[in-house]
Amino acid sequence: MEKYLTKNFDVPNSETIKAYLNRGDGYKAVEKALKEMTPEQIIEEVKKSGLRGRGGAGFPAGLKWSFMPKDNGKPKYICCNADESEPGTFKDRQIIERDPHQLIEGLIIGAYAMGVNTVYIYIRGEYASQAKILQKAIDEAYENRYLGKNILGTDFSIDIYVHRGGGAYICGEETGLMESIEGNKGQPRKKPPFPAGYGVWGYPTTINNVETFSHVSHIINKGADWFKGIGTEKSTGNTLFGVSGHVKRPGVYELPFGVSLKEIIYEHAGGIRNDNELKGVIPGGSSTKILTDSMIDVKMDYDSLMQAGSSIGTGAIIVMDHTTCMVRVGCVLSHFYRHETCGQCTQCREGTAWMHQIISRIEKGEGEIEDLDILLDIASNMEGNTICALSDAAAWPVQGLLRHFRDEFEEHIKQKRCPFTDSFLV
Amino acid sequence: MPTFTIDNKTITVDKGTTILKAALENGIKIPHFCYYEKLSIDGCCRMCLVEVEKMPKLTIACNTTVADDMVVHTHSPKVMKARAGVMEFQLINHPLDCPICDQAGECRLQEYCFEYGVPHSRFKEEKRKKKKRFSIGEHIVFDEDRCILCRRCVRFCREISKTGEVAVFSRGDRSYIDIYPGRGLNNKYSLCTTDICPVGALTSKDFRFKVRVWFLTEIESICPECSNGCNIKICVRNNNKIYRYLPRQNDKVNDTWMCDGGRLSYKNILSEDRLTQPLVKSGDKQTPVKWDEALSIIAKGFKGKDGKPDGPHIGGIASPHFTNEEGFVFQRFMRDALETNNIDFTVIKGYKDDMLIKEEKAANPRGAKDMTLSPRNGGLSISEMIRGISTGDIKILYIIGSDLMGLEEGEMILDSLGNLDFLVVQDTHVSALSRKADVVLPSATFAEKDGTFTNINGIVQRIRKAVDPPGDSLPDWKIISRLSKAMGYVMEYNSPEEIMNEIAKEIPAYKDVNYKKIENQGISVG
Ligand SMILES: Cc1cc2nc3c(=O)[nH]c(=O)nc-3n(C[C@H](O)[C@H](O)[C@H](O)COP(=O)(O)O)c2cc1C
Ligand code: SF4
Ligand code: SF4
Ligand code: SF4
Ligand code: FES
Repeated sequence: MEKYLTKNFDVPNSETIKAYLNRGDGYKAVEKALKEMTPEQIIEEVKKSGLRGRGGAGFPAGLKWSFMPKDNGKPKYICCNADESEPGTFKDRQIIERDPHQLIEGLIIGAYAMGVNTVYIYIRGEYASQAKILQKAIDEAYENRYLGKNILGTDFSIDIYVHRGGGAYICGEETGLMESIEGNKGQPRKKPPFPAGYGVWGYPTTINNVETFSHVSHIINKGADWFKGIGTEKSTGNTLFGVSGHVKRPGVYELPFGVSLKEIIYEHAGGIRNDNELKGVIPGGSSTKILTDSMIDVKMDYDSLMQAGSSIGTGAIIVMDHTTCMVRVGCVLSHFYRHETCGQCTQCREGTAWMHQIISRIEKGEGEIEDLDILLDIASNMEGNTICALSDAAAWPVQGLLRHFRDEFEEHIKQKRCPFTDSFLV
Repeated sequence: MPTFTIDNKTITVDKGTTILKAALENGIKIPHFCYYEKLSIDGCCRMCLVEVEKMPKLTIACNTTVADDMVVHTHSPKVMKARAGVMEFQLINHPLDCPICDQAGECRLQEYCFEYGVPHSRFKEEKRKKKKRFSIGEHIVFDEDRCILCRRCVRFCREISKTGEVAVFSRGDRSYIDIYPGRGLNNKYSLCTTDICPVGALTSKDFRFKVRVWFLTEIESICPECSNGCNIKICVRNNNKIYRYLPRQNDKVNDTWMCDGGRLSYKNILSEDRLTQPLVKSGDKQTPVKWDEALSIIAKGFKGKDGKPDGPHIGGIASPHFTNEEGFVFQRFMRDALETNNIDFTVIKGYKDDMLIKEEKAANPRGAKDMTLSPRNGGLSISEMIRGISTGDIKILYIIGSDLMGLEEGEMILDSLGNLDFLVVQDTHVSALSRKADVVLPSATFAEKDGTFTNINGIVQRIRKAVDPPGDSLPDWKIISRLSKAMGYVMEYNSPEEIMNEIAKEIPAYKDVNYKKIENQGISVG
């Protein structure tokens, strides 16, 4: 299993351009792209590689790039999404801290391919030290003339700006992010218009996740066929799985798509803490539906997880052992979405709050059996009906919990209390 | 021009038309809260969700453009479920205080509740506490707990009044509408937010609790306060009283807006200082008389020793508040009955902006000009007439309205009127001018008569009688034709419409104007 994204994470001073160039292939992909390839060829190569967005929705990156208008005579932008606020997700942070030039190189290639001269990296507010590391890397890239005017002696110029967010999850949603860059309140825009036509400042914009861009230099260096050879047919390449929760070795693991969840938990992450019993796993960040211990043979790729009734999301695996109260999990998650919804859409504003109120009541022992169907009905009214996917993201975990752990909710209601002694009221 | 199917009807619409617009134009109901024709599309309330075949999810009708061969369902089970969902979400934290809410009867929430709501509440949690009833502006009260966060008011203040004082603060279920610190919802059009607020969250302090809206009748008219001629509805009850003006849509004139000054001017009509009887000066006092007596005194006063009208010594100062019909009758009376060319008018000027409010503070200065109420054929202008008082050239003045007082030399004019032999003032309200008159004639306001005004851009529009004139007061056209008859010059008119037909014959620009064509959107005379 060849690692390429995290391969150099442990090289001393891996975040410096010196270390990056010392590897031999550092910034070689930019040279190749700018000097040997046309923008169309790059987009074609990325398309062929099957690279899918790593920000949660898995949209094919090359296809997205091809939506950008060509020669429109107006500014075009790239936004790199480093907001990384989905609970359980901490992979982009690793890239930024330990190999930021890999990201910058991907951004330069993307910008050249789409005819973009200005790139914004929108980084979550809490990533203060990471923003510094990133800025330092960008400064180095300017000094070494990989950024700025006429890079590598070509007529291509590019500037990268780091934009720090204010700490709102909703600013990770693509158009919420663009509003935020413009200095407005972070509220997603209704679609249409779509960002490829009307993005930042009203101009064509492509947005991708940090990790998505970080794959690009490798695809250019080694070719789409190499990339396609990793992973599964429809989920190509390696990806970063961030494992957290009740495991012995939480952390970020670079593995090919298609690896089993079991392997990740028990081999890479070292198994369950205290060798406890596994109870449930959230496979792809807080928005994805929970799986039970009996489902962990599932392969970690887009299609397999879809079949299992969940999704791979951001690859953020949250592991919970038998001490976990699933109602409390519901409380914590629904509180998060209630707190983070921007509140524009009726369903999302009211539904997130209502769900949280009901689940909290159940956890306190004041639930009634009919509340469970009400919860499901609220979730179904929230799903698919709003401006952005936060409303769905709030509905899914509740649906997942009630699907697999309904008995535990019922037990709370029957006993009029939380049966888990170490669980506390939310 | 795409052709599509909506609820089994096949419709062709202009390119770029949204599903919602197409539906509304074709009598298909799609409930909506945040959409408002004159504001940008927001898309936040999600009430207008419809099902479009081949689309994976429901889509909002207000922001989806019609495409060829689209098949839209506005009442499918999926749609009805989503709508009931939105209604339920809107209502769980709503106070449901309809019995004491001023919006009752014109509330969207109430209306849709009957049609799409769920019958009983499943909400067991504590309702969110919100600020009750606070003054958000000079004219407006805000009941936060009724607000459904449709953001119409926010968009109005950003896009229309361009003052931007209102915003949604905080986020999620803590979101609330408020004004920026140190500001108030005090723009010149602030009360429009109470029109467009679909619920009872923003209400007019002036109208609050006065009357249940279903007791009101609406009469289509024109705001009299400036030369823009905003289209309005006069709302009256069967007690012959006006309760409010509301803007009425006319995209050539005022869209669906009006200024607060115009809106609240209905109070002028109710005011205590209305003239309700003809008055005749006796000594220091003015005493009420019957019409016939007043008119015969004037008829005498307007004549010279020879018993003929004292034409050259008479001046007539017309009103920019006249309807076109009244202006026309007035100039005929002056020129034909009194044989004088000394006719002029003036209009008070004031604040203007680049939205609706115009400088001329009267409804019809343009019509006054069109009806030839300016001096012609050697006739004297206002300043010449005033100068003529001191030289003895002008001995008699017939003044309608008090706009003269808006002139810089107003006070001076007032003084010089003492030197006249005979002064007749015809007006709606008591004024410094009327107090000086030998005879005062009480006239009806625009709300108490029919007629037309021509706005600053040459659009002729109709006003309609909404209430009876108080006391013995009469519309100016009636007074003038009666006076003319009293002087032996018969000008019989049964209605302003009849006068307009005569205007059409005499004034070339108005040749195509008639009441039927004017209807409720006006016609242009260029
Ligand atoms: C509420 C919400 C929050 C999101 N937060 C992030 C985020 O923090 N980082 C991210 O890359 N994408 C996030 N996304 C997904 C973005 O909208 C967008 O799909 C993504 O940045 C596109 O990049 P990709 O195609 O490379 O995945 C979020 C989406 C939603 C609805
Ligand atoms: S779905 Fe929720 S977070 Fe997204 S725009 Fe609507 S209210 Fe805001
Ligand atoms: S106050 Fe009225 S118009 Fe403004 S957001 Fe609330 S409901 Fe809408
Ligand atoms: S702008 Fe003029 S016509 Fe319109 S409402 Fe105001 S005063 Fe009346
Ligand atoms: S009317 Fe369409 S979303 Fe509100």
